[in-house]
Amino acid sequence: MNERLKKLYQEVIVRHSREPYHYSKDADGEVVEAYNPLCGDQYKLFIEQEESLLKSLHFHGYGCSISKAASSVMVQSLEGLDIAQAKARVEAFMAVLNPEVELAGLSIPEEYLAFEAARNFPGRLKCASLSWETMAKYLEK
Amino acid sequence: MQSLTDIRKDFPLFEQHPELAYLDSAATSQKPKAVLEAIHHYYLNENANIHRGIYDLSMQATQAYESARKKVADFINAAESREIVFTKGSTDGINLVANSYLAPQLEAGDVVLISAMEHHANLVPWQQLCHAKGAHLEVIPLNERGEIVWRDFVERLSPKVKMLAFVHVSNSLGTINPAQEMIEEASKRGIPTLLDAAQSVAHYPLDVQALGCDFLVFSGHKVFGPTGIGILFGRAERLEEMKPYQSGGGMIRRVQYQETSFAPIPQRFEAGTPHVAGAIGLGAALDYVQSLDRVAVLKQLDALKDYATEVLNGIDGLQIIGQAKAKSGILSFVMELAHPHDIATILNEAKVAVRAGHHCTQPLLEGLGLPGTARASLSIYNQHSDIDQLKEGLQTVKQIFG
Repeated sequence: MNERLKKLYQEVIVRHSREPYHYSKDADGEVVEAYNPLCGDQYKLFIEQEESLLKSLHFHGYGCSISKAASSVMVQSLEGLDIAQAKARVEAFMAVLNPEVELAGLSIPEEYLAFEAARNFPGRLKCASLSWETMAKYLEK
Repeated sequence: MQSLTDIRKDFPLFEQHPELAYLDSAATSQKPKAVLEAIHHYYLNENANIHRGIYDLSMQATQAYESARKKVADFINAAESREIVFTKGSTDGINLVANSYLAPQLEAGDVVLISAMEHHANLVPWQQLCHAKGAHLEVIPLNERGEIVWRDFVERLSPKVKMLAFVHVSNSLGTINPAQEMIEEASKRGIPTLLDAAQSVAHYPLDVQALGCDFLVFSGHKVFGPTGIGILFGRAERLEEMKPYQSGGGMIRRVQYQETSFAPIPQRFEAGTPHVAGAIGLGAALDYVQSLDRVAVLKQLDALKDYATEVLNGIDGLQIIGQAKAKSGILSFVMELAHPHDIATILNEAKVAVRAGHHCTQPLLEGLGLPGTARASLSIYNQHSDIDQLKEGLQTVKQIFG
């Protein structure tokens, strides 16, 4: 296995794709769909909000290991945050995927950094960002 | 006889990418040198707009274009060249038939019959037409091997059916349909037929007179020709009764401000300056195919398919999707723990090109409970080492996903 692959499929991603956090077919809250028609990846995000707080988050659906792990990391790391905090986290995750952003010096959650390797696989960036973009739209509302 | 290894030498792309195991020919084929040279030669020596040019160069270009049409006609044994319409590709040809042949006569309550394994190209145009007319799109189901069951097919051939459109070789399952027998059953009942030969044209002989179909389409780029060119075959009497598809220059006989009379077939369906270089490239591709010993090449391709099937079946947790008895070199598969896109990414690192996803057959895969598959498809330039490379790549998939 080459180094590029090792970086992409490191422990964080494989673990989250195998045992995703709060992965359930039905949960409380508003249901938002994340869908990529090009590859068919499709997730339902269950967002239970209490005033400005993301009280609980769940997700379910079908997709590759990258999109599933990214969704799992998102649900885990945004749960319990308020909207402003969540927006900042979304921004941090998007920075990880953006090849033009220098990450050194930025404060970015450790688990997000696993997805930096997707920069080497332009065809897979969309997998990592799918649920996060959907969440970003939700938070803008 | 040319061995598959010799054939590979005809395809310059492999000189640029000697390590590449190209297993995506069902998406598009590579191009032999002869095709590239024909296109190059045309632009270097013969480029001019066709028809109505009085000067030598234009007449030369017209002749080259029309001689490509003749090559297509000969290749599929059409009775006359005028039964060949140049299109952008299979999709364009099917839309042409849906709009110009079927639309004017389809009525509410009528049925268009397709199979469950159609590419979106042979599904969406009919579906949209049915919506517009209040007609019904009926779908022939498949058995668990991915084959049409004869009885399921025949019992759907009701007098309401105004078109039977189906694929010769399935692009996602590899199933080879008994086209001739199916067309015969439909024709006996007076049902017009369209055969989608996009996946069969490169490897299987096509004889429209023996097949008996009213229409047949294929794309040039899947038979070693350029993209952007394809053909529609239509039996002359069918084409004659059809209205134009698009209108404009090239398809007219006489134009007045308030009236236009249209050119005879096939020009009636070729509005605008056509893809002359594409047609010439396609002609060269068909010449190339015919220069091969097709029977022997197909035999080797079948042997390679058997080898690939054996290799894939030997991988734990891998399941081949599509187990038809009559099957072409298209091998769709899924793996228990790895999603098709992860498989494709990992194979790409091993310099193996496969496709992953729904292969433009979304309803088929959803029916099988699969959002996608990985697909390895073979062509005449593939070799055993490509399959070995695939096997090695799949071992890495197992290493990562266990």
